[in-house]
Amino acid sequence: MAIRAILALALWELVGRLALVAGGALPAPSAIAIRFWADRGDYPMHVWATMQGAGIGFLIGNLVAVLAGVLFAVSPVAARLARGVNIAIFALPAIAIAPILTLMTTGMTPRVILAALGCYFVTMTATVTGITQADARMRDVIRAYGGGRLASLRLVELRSAVPQILGALRIAAPAAVLGSILAEFGGGGRFGLGAYLIGSLGRADPARLWGIGLAATVLAGVGYAVFAMIAARVTASTVAVTVAATPPAGDAPRPLWQRAALAAGSVLLPFAVWWGLIAASGAPAMIAKTPMALVDYLMLPNKAGERILDALAQTLPITAVGIALGLGFAFALALGSVLRPGIVRAFMPVALVTQTMPLVALTPLLVLIFGRGPSVILWITVSVTFFPAFVTMAQGLQMVARSALDVPRAYGASPWTVLRLVSIPASAPYVFAALRLAVPRALLGVMTAEWLATGTGLGNLLNQSRGYLDYGMIWTVAVLSVLLSVFFYQVVVWIERRVLARLGMTTAA
Amino acid sequence: MPVGLSLSGVSRHFDGRGGRVAALSGVSLEVAPGAFTALIGPSGCGKSTLLRLAVGLDLPDAGRVSVGGLSPAEAARKGLTGIAFQDAALLPWRSVEDNIALPFDVLRRPHDAARIAELIALVGLTGFEKALPGELSGGMRQRVAIARALVNDPEMLFLDEPFGALDQILRRQMNVELQRIWMESRTTTLLVTHGIDEAIFLADRVVVMAARPGRIARVIDIPFPRPRRAELFGTPEFAALEAEIAGALDGH
Repeated sequence: MAIRAILALALWELVGRLALVAGGALPAPSAIAIRFWADRGDYPMHVWATMQGAGIGFLIGNLVAVLAGVLFAVSPVAARLARGVNIAIFALPAIAIAPILTLMTTGMTPRVILAALGCYFVTMTATVTGITQADARMRDVIRAYGGGRLASLRLVELRSAVPQILGALRIAAPAAVLGSILAEFGGGGRFGLGAYLIGSLGRADPARLWGIGLAATVLAGVGYAVFAMIAARVTASTVAVTVAATPPAGDAPRPLWQRAALAAGSVLLPFAVWWGLIAASGAPAMIAKTPMALVDYLMLPNKAGERILDALAQTLPITAVGIALGLGFAFALALGSVLRPGIVRAFMPVALVTQTMPLVALTPLLVLIFGRGPSVILWITVSVTFFPAFVTMAQGLQMVARSALDVPRAYGASPWTVLRLVSIPASAPYVFAALRLAVPRALLGVMTAEWLATGTGLGNLLNQSRGYLDYGMIWTVAVLSVLLSVFFYQVVVWIERRVLARLGMTTAA
Repeated sequence: MPVGLSLSGVSRHFDGRGGRVAALSGVSLEVAPGAFTALIGPSGCGKSTLLRLAVGLDLPDAGRVSVGGLSPAEAARKGLTGIAFQDAALLPWRSVEDNIALPFDVLRRPHDAARIAELIALVGLTGFEKALPGELSGGMRQRVAIARALVNDPEMLFLDEPFGALDQILRRQMNVELQRIWMESRTTTLLVTHGIDEAIFLADRVVVMAARPGRIARVIDIPFPRPRRAELFGTPEFAALEAEIAGALDGH
């Protein structure tokens, strides 16, 4: 292992020295280290600023998430009502609302909010899962002694949710770092790794960009490692490293009118929250747009609709292609790992590193390597969708029961036949889980690439409108990208339900 | 004072994909205070459903269930009942003594440390007070579950296949121990089991159930005096009763 790492480092050094990649876009490790040393005076304040935003957001986001999770686990009605808000928070491309947060709030607040939003969904779902999946037999013991829901929550369920929650905090830590950095992009304050990165983009200095990217990765990785260690110490058990992409169902048999009312409430609630937040903020109507104000804006004769459609025509196709490629590779590799389990062992560490590597740190590096053409968007989209999808599918395939695999084997089936008859059908729930996970990530990836690199599509429209102080457009793009993300998520869920029902399977987390 | 258990005309059905399943249909059963009754039957005859109704974990569609004249849920809240499940169902993060103390926490009573120590000794786990369930063998975990079922001095004890997961040898040992514990407490006991020998060895009365719909097929009295010894398993009288119950299970 150590020898391989040294070899890889040596190879990298050689490639960097000879400037083999894109005319020096991949600098040698020594060059990065030298640059880092030269910049050493800058790093502490930037790292500290990002840590502050991420840390406060992490605390607030997870506190809210655990409380909300307990509420949703106890009350299916609340879970159903909040479904719309939960999906919106899961699917919202953080980069789209960063400019709005910068408009509406000041100082550290945008960073804290984006970091908190990055933590919320994963911890909330983990809390709900942990509580609802607490051992039914233990709950029976409490009930058999006349204990009610609160006794059960206090004595059994909260405690059994602890491993799940710790597992979620592990994933939330890098997400908080990413959220803080994305908010810094949107322009909040002079300090922070994101601000540093934006400020350094213009100077053709690959070594510094790599240094900042690696620093961000280390920061996120340390957050992950700290909670991984706590989790291992407290639970001494393993929790899946994948991210849940399903909000709590809260489905119970109830009359049609009630279900319809809950569904309508769940769709309307996010808009009500939006409206309420604007009213509460007291920001001037010129900056803070309510849903009605946006409709008015789109009615103005300023060709806003046309510009948006043009941007969509650029963003959507490449997002779809990116998702297809990323998931396709992931599926092929995950199936390959069934035939050759070594693949998982070789790829899992890489997958974990890239999961913790903030997307924004990756983007400028890929821009350096692949230039500013459309291909860089594809690379970014594939790289943000591939690894989580691979982890989800590979773990899912590993959970296929041994006995199910043994039956065709007993009849002399070849590995390929086993794959065709058992593994591929069994992987269906995980393919959909990966797809649900990939959709919002892909949109975030594409928009980030458009914003930072190619100057096309929705990401660019957002960035431009920021420059022109075109508040109506900023809001429109932000809302539109959230709606798009939620829409595609729901399309996936709709197809998933039908396919899995036909296969007699249940949804994977 | 031990209390009795009474079921009269109890029915419970479940709706599934294959249509409606009558888990219990018109079941009536009286368990006298202080008696040891065993419930035996094939899978799907509704014996677990019956037990869940008697403990108050489920409600019947028709009929009445009472424990000492109270509804099962009331009896449970008053701390009259004790239960040991098929699986030990211990909380993995609590030590042996804390697991045994769990009913006190639910009933909001102070921990009776002397009682807990006494029960730990009774089930032969002295020295393991601070151990976690993960560090115990299957048989030891099951004994913790039985100690937990007894900790609140229940008037009515429910045992749901408590030795189902144990091997035959350990099971026999546990049978002998359970009889000893029961003879000391004389609590009214309802034991749900798959084992014909276990039912005969422990019970005053064996209730044989049949499936589809779940109902009581026969009630057989067990005449052996107590304390019964392990040698009893090998006697011809024991074998004759085994044959009779096996016949009843086959529908004779």
